[in-house]
Amino acid sequence: MFILESLSNYAKTDRTALIYGADSLSFAELERQSNAFAAYLLKTFGADRTPVLLYGHKELSIPAVLFGCLKAGRGYVPVDTTFPPERVRQIAEEVQPKLIVDLYGLGLAAETVLDGAALRQILDGPGEACRETWIRPEDVAYMLFTSGSTGKPKGVQITAANIAAFRQGVAPWFDLDLDGGVFLNEISYSFDVSVCALYYALSRGMTLYTVDKQTLNDPKRLFAALRESDIDFWVSTPSLAEICVQSEQFCRALLPKVRGFVFCGEVLTKKLCGQMFERFPSVPVLNAYGPTEATVLVTAAQVLPAMLKDSRPVPIGYAFENVEARIVDREGKTLSAGEAGELLLIGDSVSPGYFKRPELNEKAFFLDEATGKRGYHTGDLCLIDQGLIYYLGRLDGQVKLNGFRVELEDVENNLTRVENVARAAVLPVLTDGKVTALTAFLLLEAPDGLPSLQRSKKIKAALAKTLPSYMIPRKFVVVDAFPLNTNGKVDKKALAATL
Amino acid sequence: MVEKIIGILNEIVGADEGEIAPDTELFEEGVLDSFGLVQLLVALEGEGVTLDVADLDRSAVSTPAKLAALAE
Repeated sequence: MFILESLSNYAKTDRTALIYGADSLSFAELERQSNAFAAYLLKTFGADRTPVLLYGHKELSIPAVLFGCLKAGRGYVPVDTTFPPERVRQIAEEVQPKLIVDLYGLGLAAETVLDGAALRQILDGPGEACRETWIRPEDVAYMLFTSGSTGKPKGVQITAANIAAFRQGVAPWFDLDLDGGVFLNEISYSFDVSVCALYYALSRGMTLYTVDKQTLNDPKRLFAALRESDIDFWVSTPSLAEICVQSEQFCRALLPKVRGFVFCGEVLTKKLCGQMFERFPSVPVLNAYGPTEATVLVTAAQVLPAMLKDSRPVPIGYAFENVEARIVDREGKTLSAGEAGELLLIGDSVSPGYFKRPELNEKAFFLDEATGKRGYHTGDLCLIDQGLIYYLGRLDGQVKLNGFRVELEDVENNLTRVENVARAAVLPVLTDGKVTALTAFLLLEAPDGLPSLQRSKKIKAALAKTLPSYMIPRKFVVVDAFPLNTNGKVDKKALAATL
Repeated sequence: MVEKIIGILNEIVGADEGEIAPDTELFEEGVLDSFGLVQLLVALEGEGVTLDVADLDRSAVSTPAKLAALAE
């Protein structure tokens, strides 16, 4: 696999693979530690290819574990500490891993559980490179769990071949003469945008400058980190840049070497593009797009000043060369240029499907007869004009909030499990056409007599047991009755009008 | 200023009048997270008050009163 080849090539140099605070890890060390982890897996579990579950955040040891899994011919499931214990347990129950690496002592059950100290011992142990056991193209390399509308997360399986297709598709867009340099590594490993760092940047011998969530949540620390980062290339959600542009200090002087910004994961507003042009003159700003099911990114384009004057939104880009983007109507008929419909993606980066969810796979994925390749129904309403794809909204209740994918029904289902909540409707709050928060409307079983903020604190605490923090609504509004539409369903449009 | 900040906060998080006091610990009490703080700063900017996030220590903006002192 290309990434394992690259790692062993750069291991012969003196380059640094990762920086995290005062610590760093060279490519040579990353190679040695991932070999040691692979040797441990092969010795302990033999040919058993059950994926390894990893619970952690941005620790320096994580990439060695992930690449060690691939070297031992098995996949991994990274679960970030943003996920609350109950959700992690749900994931573990579904995956049934033989080995769990638990860096935060969550007390998960499996045949073998390694804590940080046990892992350190393994990584410091012996291990030789052995290409025969490397993961094969058709094998699942990683599985990422995303919000599912039933209230239960679903695992998206990505093969080594999918990642190779992503790497091939994205290369012309990220290819800014960046062999070496520093890459911003702030995205949690359980979200697929982190694949840009792990599989693109490292494969080009770049250094991942790691920023953890404590730093992201504290603007002063974040700016201090950015100031010392000396980064060449920035990939993030627009939300992170929106926090940064709140300060005048976010400009060329802060990041003198930066050669490109790529934004993905949610709507990129014209306002932010304008601010980026002003603060970083002549540095290209790219908008990119892709669902986890089609491996990170499938479209990209440089944002041009003329696009900001257009009445349409900022385009999400041109389809990568190895991806076909097709717009269809409700009956599946292909639409012509300029007509809005569902975006289908067809190509080698499309996932083999959700883990153990045949009924979902049936609906979401298909085999394209014309090309013989796999396709995916994105559920995104788009149109294509002169090759440029424009995102217009969702066809269902999924939203992107600060780059995180949230199924509103997932939040609603979990809310109705909270004591005294009879029914719930969750709505996105929009600012400049971008989701900035969630508001939940609640019908209570009985009046609780609580002031609003106290009630919302209580409900937030209950939700935090099952939902990651980014899925918890900021505001809760109690209603006496829900407005209903003619189908007897909650009329969300009427509720939205009250926001 | 502190009333103005509390008014904006009430709107953002849906609190009743009087629930957020000048000395309410916004982060500890779970009223705000960092994205909520940014939403508040954007709203304040709309009112002509600009605070530079790069200089903001979380502890220095942890209550409406501290925020008001910085904004004035």
